[in-house]
Formats: sequence, structure tokens, C-alpha cells
Amino acid sequence: MQTTEVLTSKQKFKKFLGEYNILLVTLLMVVVSTCLKGFTFLSLNNIINIIRSNSVIGIIAFGMAFVIITGNIDLSVGAEMVAVAALSITVINLTNSAILGVLTAFVAGIAFSVITGVIITKGRVPSFIVTLGFQYIYRSVLTYALNGGGVTTKNDAYLAISSTEIFGVIPLQIVYFFVMALIYWYISKYTTLGRRIYAVGSNERAARLSGIKTDRIKIMAFVLLGIAIAVGAIAESSRMGSINSTSSGTSYELNAIAMVVIGGVAMEGGKGKLSNTVFGAFIFGMISNILTLVGINTKLVNAVKGAIIIIAVLLQRGNKNNN
Amino acid sequence: MAELALQMSGIVKKYGGVSVLKNVDFSVKSGEIHALLGENGAGKTTLMNILGGVTPMDSGSVRLFDRMVNIHSPLDAQREGIAFIHQELNVINDLAVYENMFLGNELRNRFRRLDIARMCEETSKVFERMNVSIDPRAMMRDLDTSHKQIVEIAKSLLRSARLIIMDEPTTSLTQKEIDNVFAIMRNLTKTQGTTIIFISHKLGEVVEFCDSYTVLRNGEKVSDGSIVQEDGSKISQAEIARMMVGRDVLSEDVYQHRELGDVYYTVEDLCVGNDVKGVSFELRRGEILGITGLLGDGKDQLIRCLFGDLPKTSGHVYLDGQEVNIAHPAQGKKKGVGYLPPNRKENAIIKDLSVQGNLTIVNLEKCLQGIRISRRKERETVQRFKDRLSIKVHNFDHPITSLSGGNQQKVVLAKWLNADPQVMILANPTQGVDVGAKNEIYLEIMKLAQTGVGVIVTSGEAQEIIRTCDRALVMYHGELRGILNRDELTEENIMILATGGTLGEDKKER
Repeated sequence: MQTTEVLTSKQKFKKFLGEYNILLVTLLMVVVSTCLKGFTFLSLNNIINIIRSNSVIGIIAFGMAFVIITGNIDLSVGAEMVAVAALSITVINLTNSAILGVLTAFVAGIAFSVITGVIITKGRVPSFIVTLGFQYIYRSVLTYALNGGGVTTKNDAYLAISSTEIFGVIPLQIVYFFVMALIYWYISKYTTLGRRIYAVGSNERAARLSGIKTDRIKIMAFVLLGIAIAVGAIAESSRMGSINSTSSGTSYELNAIAMVVIGGVAMEGGKGKLSNTVFGAFIFGMISNILTLVGINTKLVNAVKGAIIIIAVLLQRGNKNNN
Repeated sequence: MAELALQMSGIVKKYGGVSVLKNVDFSVKSGEIHALLGENGAGKTTLMNILGGVTPMDSGSVRLFDRMVNIHSPLDAQREGIAFIHQELNVINDLAVYENMFLGNELRNRFRRLDIARMCEETSKVFERMNVSIDPRAMMRDLDTSHKQIVEIAKSLLRSARLIIMDEPTTSLTQKEIDNVFAIMRNLTKTQGTTIIFISHKLGEVVEFCDSYTVLRNGEKVSDGSIVQEDGSKISQAEIARMMVGRDVLSEDVYQHRELGDVYYTVEDLCVGNDVKGVSFELRRGEILGITGLLGDGKDQLIRCLFGDLPKTSGHVYLDGQEVNIAHPAQGKKKGVGYLPPNRKENAIIKDLSVQGNLTIVNLEKCLQGIRISRRKERETVQRFKDRLSIKVHNFDHPITSLSGGNQQKVVLAKWLNADPQVMILANPTQGVDVGAKNEIYLEIMKLAQTGVGVIVTSGEAQEIIRTCDRALVMYHGELRGILNRDELTEENIMILATGGTLGEDKKER
């Protein structure tokens, strides 16, 4: 006896707005930008440019979304990415094997995440504190080990990972972004791990009493982030063939969190869709592009980004009240 | 007493196309404790939300102490002298009592500094009027639940409330604390002329403490009157229950005699910290074993330990003859032990998941197709349990919180049934569940036992144990005080053991 609710057209509209507002905002931004700058904005080159320049942070944001859904946060992702990339390039330079370098990246990304996750869950220390600490540790040890500079590789196979372009136009970096989006969206929607991540973030006590190993689920969320960081590290370092201990990956953690938040994931955990994180990344990427095209001083870009983050969360707050 | 404190007439409220209140008249005499009764979904809360200014009404009028009033917001209600005390306590544990009392209306001296002395003094005055002794400077967290409740009542008096609405205030209180709160309420109505509207599912309290009642069913008023009837006798709980549900429920027999199987589950000399001291018992297949006692008896810690939520200090547990060590709920689940926890909202409801997501969470593996959760299999599972437990739900994708208490509880029960437990532990299975749904849950427990599952029911309500169990353990300060067989299960015997007494040779049989 499945009955559907009777909704007035006004309620239907509100429901539609609530579910697809992020999509609408994205479209609105595209339309406004097109009106302002016409085909300069809509050109294939420009669009590819937007996505590519945000793909690494976007990929990390997909992992970050899981961590935030469990009610945690990771402030160390920028520095961790640099550490992973530095290890990867070092191994390549030692062995001259791109494959070993890629493997190193994944092993390191996962290992770092497990350590973080274990300290948070078994040691019962807030994730904010643990990852803040690791941010300092990664940066400091990297700067020391690389003497404030970076590492470089000339391995052709490794450089091809990012620079290859499909049909001569679409760089592989963009493909990684969409493939990671697809995989992480699938995990969030169709796997037991995804469902349990939501359950733990929504009510940890009830999840535990439903026979879920809540600590393990939280660690797994960090592992998903670690894998995303590894992919991001490879994409980032293979593009230029180098990574720098001080200048690479700065504020990636905050930008990734911003994408997740704009995409509607609630900081208190349990709520949010991975599909919307993709749009969160688009919106975030479009802001600086549009401002540059329109000719606003680049020094003001971050002010607009900040405003967008606050407005995005305000809009979502409004939705909640309507429901 | 004849003056009317409140007269709500012709109240209509619709949500979408659904009428929640259909032309309801509701009146309360000044200075009485008036019970507002009805099953979940009968419209009590909506009616009170209208009075409290939380929800607007579609039509109708409200007359308060002989004056028509328009209440559009909680602030309006407060101004009219209406105080609304919600089910969940609204106190801040990290503040002192007086700070809670004056929260948002702090008194200041002429230097704009907080006037702590005067706030404490005013607080003491209110407590004096109520005839309770609580130190205004005590920290809120150090008070027991009934005193926190009393502070909430005091707070409404401080804001000079003439009409206090209390929504299920006693669900989390012990009997002694309940008596305490009611004594204060009675004192208030007598000495201050305060009027109290009291919403509760505990009919025992209603009959014992209230002056009059109104029963709502499906958004309509079915009946109202005095608790003390014309012939001087009190109205019976069964009669009120019948009005609430529309049929006879309290006298409906739920217990069915069954043949019990072999011993499946053995607990030997189990200790959990200082809370459980050397408890031993056996559970047969198909048996319903009750565990009861008063507050501080250790039954909660005992069952949490059995499920793996608390570590045991010493002792042995055997399942089907094999010793098991269950140290995490996940292991409990794996060994075939299910656990329906008390306090559904905190321990069982995953508020951001849908009805479907909540129901399949324990045994999600069952709905897998490869590594993918099959939506079709999930649907089928939920549909099967919806039919089996007659869960009232319109849309499986709606949030679990959109269901009534009874239906939420059925979903929590269903999520464990889906895991096919061999031993099912149910803690306060009918907590926050209305009279009609209560019986349905009892019947499900019976059915479950009939399939050979060993069932453990813990409850503080003796009646619940008596109506469902084959045997009952009675605990007292962490010790097993006695085991009562079905023919010895009476409220009196339970109470003797639960208060630390012993049953003599003249064990009373029922």
C-alpha cells in the first residue's frame, strides 16, 4: 500500500529547489558568465582549464567528503599530498620505474591515513587536533629533508601520466577527476561501506549498537581520503615532474573542505551527497575563472570565495527549515 | 474550581490534505491537573503546539481566563502566561541552577554587571513557594533528573506562568522521582492556583494524580470528564485505554503457553564492574525471560555486557554449549545475539537514514548483489517486514523520524529480526510506544519465541514482565535476588525481591 504524498505545485517547486539547488546554482553561474563574457567563457579551452586547474583539489575533496560525513575532518591533506608525491618521485629517481613510484604513492597515502585514523579512533583525540598536528609534522619534516626545496624527475612514463591528452585536447588529469568522482559516488551510494559511513556520522552510538565496527568505518573513511590524496599527488607531481616542500599543496585542505561544504555536506556529519561535491568543485573552480575573465583584481578572488562558502551554507540552512 | 482556565473551540488543523485536528473543543478548569491523552498521532502534540504558539491553526478560537487570545509565537504564549515543558529536558548541565533559571533574562545591577545575589535570592523564593530545597548555586549536572524537571517547572513559575503544559515529563524518571514531581505539581495547583495540562502514556500516573482528562483519537475528541466519577470511584486504566484505542486492549491476553526447547544460552557468575555482581542464569530456546528491578539494579549493564557493549569483569557465557567471549556489538551480532536498546532516539535511530536505510543497516549483506546494494532486494526486505509487523509507513524513503514512536520501534525490531538472531535481547521494548502499538509488539515477541528464539526482555514496568514472560530474574543492587516462574509472577512478588526482600515459604502464587 505505497501511497505517494499529494504535493501542491508550490511544495513541489520547493522540493525541487531543495534537491537540485546546487545544480541550479552551477547552471546559473554558467549562464551569468556566458552572458558576461560569451564564448570566451564557454570555449572548450576555458572549460578544460577550469576543471584541470581544480582537479587535484577536487579529487581530494571526494575523499574529504567521506571523512566529513563521519563527523571528522582532515587538515593535513595538503602537506600529506606533498609528502606522498615527494616519496613517489624519490622512489622513481632511485629505481627509474614509474610503476613503483605510483605504487609507493598509494601505499604511503593509505599508510598515512591509517595512522591518522587509528590515533583518532583508538586514542580518542579529536580529528581536528590530530590532523592539525600532522600538518605541521609533514611540512616540517619535508622542508628539512628537502632543504626547503623540492624533488624533480625526468622519467617520461611518469610525466606522461598527466600530460597525455585524449584526442589531443582533454588532459588525463580531467579524466582522473571524473573517474574518481564516479568511483566515490558509487561507494557512497551503493556499497555497505558507504551506507555505514553515513550511519556512523549520523548516530555513532546507534551504529555501534547495530553491530557496526564504528572505529573501523572511520578509519576506512580516512583510507578513502588517503587513496584520493595518492591520486591527487600523482596527478599533481607528474604534471610538472616536481613537487616543492614549501610552495606545493598550500591551503589544499581548506579549499577541499570548501568544495565539500559548498556541495552541501554538513560539518556535523551524516548528511550530504557525493554527487553534489562534484558541483561544489565546479562552482569553486568557476569563481576565480569568472572573476579573472571579468577583470576583477585577483587579490579579491578569495574574498568572493569566502562569501560564496557562507552563502552556500546559508542557503542549505534555509532548505532545512522549509522541509 | 468552576472557572475555565482554557477553552479551545473548533480547532482545525490540516497538513497538506490530511486533517490532524478535526473541530476539536478542549477546555481545562482553573487549578486542575488535566491529562491530555491519546495514541501517538492522535493530535495531542499538534493541539498543544497551537496553544504554545509553535504551530498556527487553520481555524478555531482560544479563550484564556475569559479573554480571547491570539497566539502567533512562543513569545506570545509566554506573555499570556503559558509555559511549555517539553519531553526532553531543556537545561544546560554546565551552568548553575540559578543561571538556568534566568537564562536569557539575567538580572543586572546598576553597573550592568550580573546580579548573582539577587538571582539566587529570587530562585530560592520560587523554590520556597514550591516547597523544595535545591541550592540555587548547585551545578545543574549534579541534580538528579527529577530535580532538573523541577527546575524547569520553577523556571516557568519565575516567568509567572498560569498554565503549564507538560509533555510526557515522566518518561525518564524513576517512580520515586515521579512521586516527587507530582507532589510539587499538586502543591502548585493548590497553593498558587496554577493550571497544568499533562500529556502522558502512563495511564497509572494519570489515574493516580490527575483531576480530569480529555481523550483524542484520530484528531477528534472522543471523551472528557473527571477522573473521579460520579459514584466516587476512579475511572479505570482499562477504560481510558479503550477510549484511546477504540477497543479493549489492557485486558487482551498476549501470553501464550509454549513448549520450551533445550537450554541454549548459559550465563555463569557474570560480573560487570561494580554494577553486576555474579549473575547466573539459563535461557531455553523459545523462552521469554524477563529481567526486572528498580533503578540501580544493574540490569542495563548486564544486558549491554551480554551484547558486547560493555566488557565483562569476570564470568562465563555459553552459547549452545560453547563458551563465547563477546567483546564488541559486532561480535554479538555475529554470534546471533540481537539487542534492541533502551532510549530509541539516542541508541537506535539513525536520523539521517531513511526508513529503509534504518531497517537494513544491521544485515546489509543480505541485500548485496556482488558488491552493490541491490535496491530491489532492499525494497523486498523492507516490504516483508512492513507486512509482518504491520509498520505504518507511506514511503520507505522518508526519514525514519517521520514515523510515530511505535512504528519507529517496529523498524528497530525489524532490523534485528532481519539478522535472524538466536538470542534476542529487548530493553524496554515499549518505551515511548502508545497503548495500541504496545500490544502489537508483545505479540511479535510471542511470535519470535514461537520460532525457537530465546528472548530476554528487560523492563522497569512489572506489568510488562508479567504479561509476556515465562520466567523473570529480579535484580537488586547488581545481584540476582530471585527467579520467579510464571505461576509466581505477580507485581507483589517482583516488588518484594526488587526492594531487597526475600520470598518466604508462603511464596504467593497467582
